[in-house]
Amino acid sequence: MEFSQIIVNSLIRGSELSLLAIGLTMVFDILKFSNFAHADYAVLGAFLAYTFNQVFGINLLIAIVLAALFTGLFGIAIDRILFKRLRVIGANPVSLMIISMGIEIALRNMLRLIWTSEIKTYAIAIRKPFEILGARITPLQIKIVLVGFLSMVAFHILLHKTKFGKSLRAISDNRVLASACAIDSEKMITWMWFLACAYGVIGGTMIAMEHVLYPRLGFDILIPVFCATILGGIGNPYGAMVGALILAFAENIVLALDLSWLINLGGFFNVHSIQISTGYKPAISFVMLIIILLWKPTGILRKK
Amino acid sequence: MPIINFFIYLLTMVGIYGLLAMSLNFQVGFAGLINFGQVAFFCIGAYTSSLLATKVGIPLPFCFAGGMALSGLFGYLMSIPTRSLKSDYWAIATLATAEVIRLIALNEGWLTGGPFGVMTIPQPFQFLFSRDSYPLFYLVLVLICVLLIYFALSLLSDSPFGRDVKTIRDDEELCLSLGKNTRQIKLQAMVVAGMVGGLAGALFAHYITFISPENFRPIETFLMWAMIIVGGRGNHAGAILGAVIIELFNVSTRFIGEYVSLSPDVMASLRMLIIGLLIILFISYRPEGLIKEKKKVYYLKRRDGE
Amino acid sequence: MLKIKDLQKNFGSLRALDRVSLEVEGDSIFGLIGPNGSGKTTLFNVVSGFYEKDGGEILFKGERVDGLTPDGIARKGLCRTFQIAKAPEKLTVLENMMLAAKEQHGENPFSALFTRRRTARVERENLDRAMELLEVLQLVDLKNEYAGDLSGGQKKLLSLGRVFMLQPDMILLDEPTAGVNPTLTMQLMKAIKELQQREHKSVFIIEHSMKVISSICDKVYVLNFGKKMAEGTPAEIQKNEKVLEAYLGGA
Repeated sequence: MEFSQIIVNSLIRGSELSLLAIGLTMVFDILKFSNFAHADYAVLGAFLAYTFNQVFGINLLIAIVLAALFTGLFGIAIDRILFKRLRVIGANPVSLMIISMGIEIALRNMLRLIWTSEIKTYAIAIRKPFEILGARITPLQIKIVLVGFLSMVAFHILLHKTKFGKSLRAISDNRVLASACAIDSEKMITWMWFLACAYGVIGGTMIAMEHVLYPRLGFDILIPVFCATILGGIGNPYGAMVGALILAFAENIVLALDLSWLINLGGFFNVHSIQISTGYKPAISFVMLIIILLWKPTGILRKK
Repeated sequence: MPIINFFIYLLTMVGIYGLLAMSLNFQVGFAGLINFGQVAFFCIGAYTSSLLATKVGIPLPFCFAGGMALSGLFGYLMSIPTRSLKSDYWAIATLATAEVIRLIALNEGWLTGGPFGVMTIPQPFQFLFSRDSYPLFYLVLVLICVLLIYFALSLLSDSPFGRDVKTIRDDEELCLSLGKNTRQIKLQAMVVAGMVGGLAGALFAHYITFISPENFRPIETFLMWAMIIVGGRGNHAGAILGAVIIELFNVSTRFIGEYVSLSPDVMASLRMLIIGLLIILFISYRPEGLIKEKKKVYYLKRRDGE
Repeated sequence: MLKIKDLQKNFGSLRALDRVSLEVEGDSIFGLIGPNGSGKTTLFNVVSGFYEKDGGEILFKGERVDGLTPDGIARKGLCRTFQIAKAPEKLTVLENMMLAAKEQHGENPFSALFTRRRTARVERENLDRAMELLEVLQLVDLKNEYAGDLSGGQKKLLSLGRVFMLQPDMILLDEPTAGVNPTLTMQLMKAIKELQQREHKSVFIIEHSMKVISSICDKVYVLNFGKKMAEGTPAEIQKNEKVLEAYLGGA
């Protein structure tokens, strides 16, 4: 495979994952627990968008926006009903993590009940891909990268140029101090959930559009998203983006590697080609996650 | 007749999951180690034992022992990062590791048979029993294992070792200040838990005589978690109770599906949905589970004698 | 017994410990005082291995102990208590004492399962010693209560009992009377003095109350802003102008 194709593929996948990683890193940083259900929120949104678009015939863009809205409200509701009570009494974040695991199982199977395990697609017209520097990229994929980029820019503006963003950063640095400065942390947390879910829905829908949509998608992208988040450092949204790109790059390059040169080094063997079997593709993000946790759990980028 | 067979099957599976729940409970409820990769012990025990039996052909007791040993070794490996990783990071790492193990089993066909798994696994003492009475024998075998492990783990948790383990869960700094080598203790706890999980895996493999990577998906870990959350952490009886409840629920809903004319897919989703809800409800409203951890009371008896 | 040379500990640009040197002798009670934030608990944390040092040497019984793990240092005979007394909720008072016993058997799975008779015998011996200590501390009636249910002062007494179960050569007591009512304080002081005289240990106490210091300490060190400011007998310290200024005028 051409190296430029690897770059392009990494860019696409990285853009998709980064939107999910941003939300996860926010929750991890501000609420101090790892939300195992995060990817499933995103997939819920993808299913909603699918229904609005394919079943009700609503314009795709509007469908995505509506889905993001609904899912954002859903995330807020779950927080109010389940997490807030334990958060207020100062419960161990591990308990929250285990609850999120329960939510993951329940939500994924609810999706399965409502929409069945049948694979869904967004019926996007297949167009001829462009050729850039030896790499192929379809119009949809170009849009995905663009949306990813614009969303990051929007997030940056939100974080640094608005009062909301300033409050968010304050809470991230020190919650107690922030509330002393009359920042209503509960209100901020509500908006944070909304933002995290909304961004997740955009990312999830893009993944579903580029591939296919099925209930287990949430669990399948959970570990890659976790990997990207931890790679970039918890609490660092730019890190989440970088982490997503690095992970996407690793996923693509590891499979393209031909390890036979390693074996042939000593001159004893003359093997034609040894590649890592594609069956291991999901394992790449798992292995990267294990490596980064063992080597540098605080991430490779320093926080902000 | 079929009803009796069903009950024998059900109880055997309850026993096997009971072992897995006790193993997980020892890590979570006693040592405070949040393991999301428990299924790895199940997988390694099952594959090791069955491969030793089918490919190497050694006597079955050694296969079982091999399964337990390798699982114990894996427990040792998993305990190494606990010094440097916080609970939630370690939990994620265990989840990832268990999946990597399963993917290896899926892809390395030359060793594990890949997606086709391991077939025609021999059963212990097969020749002694008729085909009809064998399941009953196996049930007795499993129940004996459950009892033995229950007593062994109880001995451990009531011993000075158990005392150290429980204090590591509640206050590791205190343990360090009292001169305890907490890393070594966690290691030992993980090895013990690993061996019990491996035993469950071996028993499973030689019971249903055919295993594949499909048997060891992450959902199994979450089922075991549901068992200890519902049954009660910090005590072995709770783990067994949880296994009974969850496995009963799991297996019986498969049969209800036939009578209620819902597709198996729908039944499966409903079943797991309820399990997820159970986890949420119990952690939110009854985190200790159904059977609570008991105070160590034996000193009271001494008081009478003083 | 404990020799600290030029100990340095920084938190970023803050010099929590600035080239502190001091010595604590065996079979005596030494005190460590100083205003809040002067680095007393930090000193204990570094010496006991819970914090890493940034410079200097720590010698215990002639051996270098800086750089060892906290449990390793405790096993060498240098033990400590914590400013906020630790009381694991799910363990009873008596179990806490047994937990700390120096010679235990059955602390690994193999011996716990297969050498039960010896384990039981050693447990019984430790039980006797634990009960003796509980008598001195007047906690005997609470022996089967959960440690988490004790009052603050009782938890402090329990910490004391635990650390004596370790039979250490030297004990670092971090504010053993903080938050304890006056009657219990008297009890604690009496217990510390009695236990020290009985077992001939070396005790190093962080304290705020000059009353406690002057009644049981043989010698006192004063820290201020991470530096050793003065040393001497309690009587000398109380007359030292710099010390008075630090407490009254300073932090």
